[in-house]
Amino acid sequence: MTTMPATSPAPASTVGPPVLETRGLGRRFGGLQAVSDVSFSVPAGQTLGVIGPNGAGKSTFINLVTGHIRPTSGQVLIDGKDLTGAKPWVIAKARVARTFQIVKPFRGMSIRENVAVGVLHGPDGTSVMSQALAAADEVLERVGLGAQASRSPGELSVADARRLEFAKALALKPRLLLLDEVMAGLRHTEIEPSLELIDSLKREGMTIIAVEHVMKAILAISDRVLVLHQGQVLTSGAPREVLSDERVIEAYLGHRYAKRQQR
Amino acid sequence: MTTQSTAPGRVLGTNPAALRTAFARRWGPWLLGLLIVGGAFALQSQIYVGQERTVSTIFMFVALAQAWNLIGGFAGYACFGQVVFFGLGGYTTAVLMAHTHVGFWVSLVVSALLATAFGALIGLPLLRLKGHYFAIATLGVAEGMREVVINVPSLTGGGAGITVPTVGNQATTAYLGNNGFYVLFLLIAAGSVAISGLVSRSKFGFALRAVNQDEDAAGAVGVNTTRTKVLTFALSGFVTGLVGATYAFQQVTIFPERLFDVNITVLMVIMVVIGGSGTVLGPVLGAVGLQFVSEYLRQHYTNVHIFLLGLIIIVGVVLLPQGVVPYVRDAVRTREFSLLANVRRYRL
Repeated sequence: MTTMPATSPAPASTVGPPVLETRGLGRRFGGLQAVSDVSFSVPAGQTLGVIGPNGAGKSTFINLVTGHIRPTSGQVLIDGKDLTGAKPWVIAKARVARTFQIVKPFRGMSIRENVAVGVLHGPDGTSVMSQALAAADEVLERVGLGAQASRSPGELSVADARRLEFAKALALKPRLLLLDEVMAGLRHTEIEPSLELIDSLKREGMTIIAVEHVMKAILAISDRVLVLHQGQVLTSGAPREVLSDERVIEAYLGHRYAKRQQR
Repeated sequence: MTTQSTAPGRVLGTNPAALRTAFARRWGPWLLGLLIVGGAFALQSQIYVGQERTVSTIFMFVALAQAWNLIGGFAGYACFGQVVFFGLGGYTTAVLMAHTHVGFWVSLVVSALLATAFGALIGLPLLRLKGHYFAIATLGVAEGMREVVINVPSLTGGGAGITVPTVGNQATTAYLGNNGFYVLFLLIAAGSVAISGLVSRSKFGFALRAVNQDEDAAGAVGVNTTRTKVLTFALSGFVTGLVGATYAFQQVTIFPERLFDVNITVLMVIMVVIGGSGTVLGPVLGAVGLQFVSEYLRQHYTNVHIFLLGLIIIVGVVLLPQGVVPYVRDAVRTREFSLLANVRRYRL
C-alpha cells in the first residue's frame, strides 16, 4: 500500500474510541468464504466509503455489522462494546442504523407510519403515538419527503423510495449510519440532494459508512475509502489515492484494462 | 428545513375543527362498537331460541376470526393449526370441570392462560419458519394434539368424548342456557374486537405490521421481531382458548373430532381473507357475512347449500382478493369502485 499523507483531505476527526471496530470479521456460506478477516476501525465523525466489484462482500459486510447475518469468525465492536452476533434490534438500539440495497418499505403503512416505526422502537423509543408521528414528519421534511408523508410506499418513485430508506434509518437518530448503495439507480440530478443530505449529516458529526458504486459520490463524501475484493480488504486510504491504485483498477476492470492504463 | 415544522399552520391544538376530527378519529370507533354491542343486547329480546343460538355462533366466529387475524392478518403468519388452541381450551375446561370439580369461571381463565402459554411455547420454535412451512407445521401441531387427546382416555374420555357435569350436585357451575351463552359469546366477541383495535393503533401494532412486511427491515429499526411474533401468537391463543372453553361448556359433551376439527381453522381463514386481513373490521364482516349467508342458504337451498356457499366464496375471493374492508378503503380513496378494475389492480 502506498500511503501518501500529503494528499489526504481528511478533516481533523475527533479523537476517542472508534464508533465501529471489526477484528478478523468473516463469514462462510458453506464452501464460499464471502467475507474473511476484515479488520479496521472507524473513528467518530469519519465517513468511510466502501467500494469493490460485485460479489466482493460489501453487503455481507454490512449485514455482519448490523446483525442480519451472524459472523462465523471475528468480532464486531460498537463504541468499544462487543456486539458480535447480536440481533438486529440490539444493534439498532445501540444507535447503528442502516439502509437496504433493495429498498424494504413497509407496504400497507403510510410513508409517515413507515418512519414512525423506527421512532417508536428505536433507541429513544417513545410510546406516545402523536409524538412519534410528529418526529417522523420532521425526518421526512429533512430528506425531502415532507409532501409525501400520507402516501403509500408503492406510489413513490425510485429516488423517493431510496429517500424513504434514508428516513427510516435517520428515525433512529443514529451515531453510525450504514448506507448500502443509496445512490444506485438515481439520475445525476437526483444524486445531488442525497449528497447534500449526507454532507449535512457529516457536519452534525455523524459517523457514516457508505457502500457505493457511484464514484462521484464516493469522492464527494468519503474521508477515507476501503476497498473490498473477494471478501478481503484490498487496500484503504485517502479517496483519490485509492481510486488511482492499480490493484483497485485491476479488481474493478480486470487485469488487461489495468495494463492498458499503465501504458 | 426545521422552520417548516414550526410554521403556524402546522401547530396542533389551535384549530378547533382539527381537534374535533382528531377526537372523532380517536373515540368514534369505540362509540360505534358500544352502540353495536348495545344493539346486540336489544336484539336478544326480539329473537326466538333457534335464532339466539345461531347469533351466538356468529359471535363465536367473530372472536375466532379476530384471533386468527392477529397472527395471520397483522403478523402475516398463516396459522393452519389455530384450532389447537380452541381444542386445548375446550378440553382443559371439560377435564377440570369433570375431574376436579372446579367451577366454570375458574376453568375458563385457566384454559385461556394454558392456551396462551402453549402459543408462546410452540411459537418460539415454529415462528422461525415462514409461509407454507409455518402453515404446515402448525397444522401438524393441531393434528398431533388431537391424537394426544384421543390417546389418554382416562383423562379426556378418548374418542368417546367427555361430558361436563351440568345437572345435579356434580354441577359446579349452573348451565348458562341460551341466554347466558349469548351474552358470554357477545362479550368475548366484543373483547376480541377491542383487543384488535388496541393492537392496530398501538406501538405494538406498528411493530407487528412492520414484521408482516419485512422482518429484516423491522429488526433494522429496532423492532424485536421474535418477541413481537411470539407475543402475538400467545395473544391469539388466549382469545381462541377462551372461545374453545366457552364452546365446550355450551356443548356439554365434546369429542376430539369436533374440538380439533380442521374446518374450524379453515372457516377462520376464509372469514378473515374475505373481510380483509390485517384490519379490525374485516374479520367481523367476514364472520357475520359468511355465517349469515351460510345459514340463509342452509334454510332455503338445503340440498345445494355447501355448493352455493363454495361458489360464493370463490367469486368473492376472485373479485376482492384483498378483502372487503381494504377494497372499500381503496375505492373511497381513489374513487374507483369498479370490481373489474380492482381485479386488474391485484391480479395483473
